[in-house]
Amino acid sequence: MTLDGFGFDSGDHLVIFGPNGAGKSSLLRRLIGFGDFDPILNAAYLPQKPYAFRGTAELNLTLGLTETEAARAMDLADGLGVSGVLASEARVLSGGELQRLNLARVLARSEEWVILDEPLAPLDVRDRERVAGLIAEAIGDRGSVIVTHHRESAAIFGDKVVVVVDGAVAQQGPIREVFSLPASEVVAAVVGVSNVLSGEVQRREGVLGLILAGDLEIWARTECDVGDVVKLLIPAESVTVFASGGTPVGSARNRWDGVIGELRPAASLVEVLVEIGRSSVVALVTQGSVDGLGLAPSVGVTVAVKASAVRAIGR
Amino acid sequence: MSFLWEVVTESLSFLAEASFWPVLGLTLAVTLAATTLAVVFGIPVGMWTGERNTKPSRFLLVLLNTGMGMPPVLAGVLVLLLLWGSGPLGSWGLLFTPLAMVLVQFLLALPIVAGVIAGAVRTLPTLANEHIASLRLSRKAERRLKLAEVRPAVITAVAAAFGRVVSEVGAVLIVGGNIKGETRVLTTAIVQESRQGNLGAALGFGLILLVFSLSINVWLTRFQLRESAP
Repeated sequence: MTLDGFGFDSGDHLVIFGPNGAGKSSLLRRLIGFGDFDPILNAAYLPQKPYAFRGTAELNLTLGLTETEAARAMDLADGLGVSGVLASEARVLSGGELQRLNLARVLARSEEWVILDEPLAPLDVRDRERVAGLIAEAIGDRGSVIVTHHRESAAIFGDKVVVVVDGAVAQQGPIREVFSLPASEVVAAVVGVSNVLSGEVQRREGVLGLILAGDLEIWARTECDVGDVVKLLIPAESVTVFASGGTPVGSARNRWDGVIGELRPAASLVEVLVEIGRSSVVALVTQGSVDGLGLAPSVGVTVAVKASAVRAIGR
Repeated sequence: MSFLWEVVTESLSFLAEASFWPVLGLTLAVTLAATTLAVVFGIPVGMWTGERNTKPSRFLLVLLNTGMGMPPVLAGVLVLLLLWGSGPLGSWGLLFTPLAMVLVQFLLALPIVAGVIAGAVRTLPTLANEHIASLRLSRKAERRLKLAEVRPAVITAVAAAFGRVVSEVGAVLIVGGNIKGETRVLTTAIVQESRQGNLGAALGFGLILLVFSLSINVWLTRFQLRESAP
């Protein structure tokens, strides 16, 4: 694993993305200084899989912690829903319970960085977003490096994404930039192409919320309340492009007029960057659509996306 | 059949005479002292060997594995040479004393304790080692935690070491001399009585040895079962 292209500032929230076997865990081990390497970060570290030391869950929770940290671990265990199992033998706990216990122990530590290797993997899908929120809250102002496979939790965990492919950093940059404009086809294949915007919830209507993100008013699925600051994830393949002047008919609640800024090939598809006022949205379309609609830089278009395809997540 | 019955009856009357107590007492003292010493020294040696992957640690592992299969009579001869009047430690005057017997049994048990623990520490899962490293414990606390993680292996090591010393006869005979009232233990007493044709007494000593070994192993097995419970 080479660290070329990998950089960080103190207090950064980095998310590591990459296919299996790409070297993500090796990168973390180098940062933490395992094996023959010198540590690069002074960090609390959660390995990829949970482990139960012999003894009770409580003993596992407080191993290696100071009194203050142990008290914090107790609070975190409570928040993560495992305070009821503390008297049990750790080895009889489920994988999810054990992971929460390990997480509480690691997050309670006082190091200035937190490094987590796939913290959500052993958890039930329905719990992941809530736990991701708790993790982000517990990390607070400390720096973090987190490996994850989930785009939604990546948006909760980090400001910056590092994409690792074949033991090297393929791209590093702000989450919005990497998710919406992957530097290469390899990166696009790993992270998918998604628009990541920041905004504030203006009002709620059932499961949907209206979010103001820059110039755009966007309807999205959300559990957040009015006034909450959220991150919006719009998969580029869910964005439809219409020729300007044509009025799209259908259920899409989000429609904006804009001008094409750039066209870029992405695997067998084409990424279309549409500038809408001071904001921009990327759509993923086929070459057939590009030819049929006459899409080219500076051409005016209308883009639409169903509210159900947009996810708004609070940090 | 009547012959066997006669021997069993003789052995029971031998046990009733209760003249075996000094022999049992010495056996108890020698085996427990040797096993305890082997555990006290074997744990750090085993941890040191198990935690490292250097040339010296690998060499020591080979030595320990060889030591596990060392013929007791050879160990007896080596200690005899050491303690012989004109030998390197001859001036200590230990030959044919219980201390010499403890020494030789300790040398036989040490590789078992250290070797089993080294193997267990070496085969701790990578995941366990990563979690242990992530705890950032002091060196001492880290070793204590690793030892706790291989606790079942420690109990196995103690049971195996005790099994070796309690049943051992050749080495203690060589360095102890089987002197009645001084260095006679259960195993050497069995040899002595068998040779003299006192089969009842030989069987009696054998039964005592069996009960002694059984009691220690019942106790060790209880620990072992508790550790292997989920």
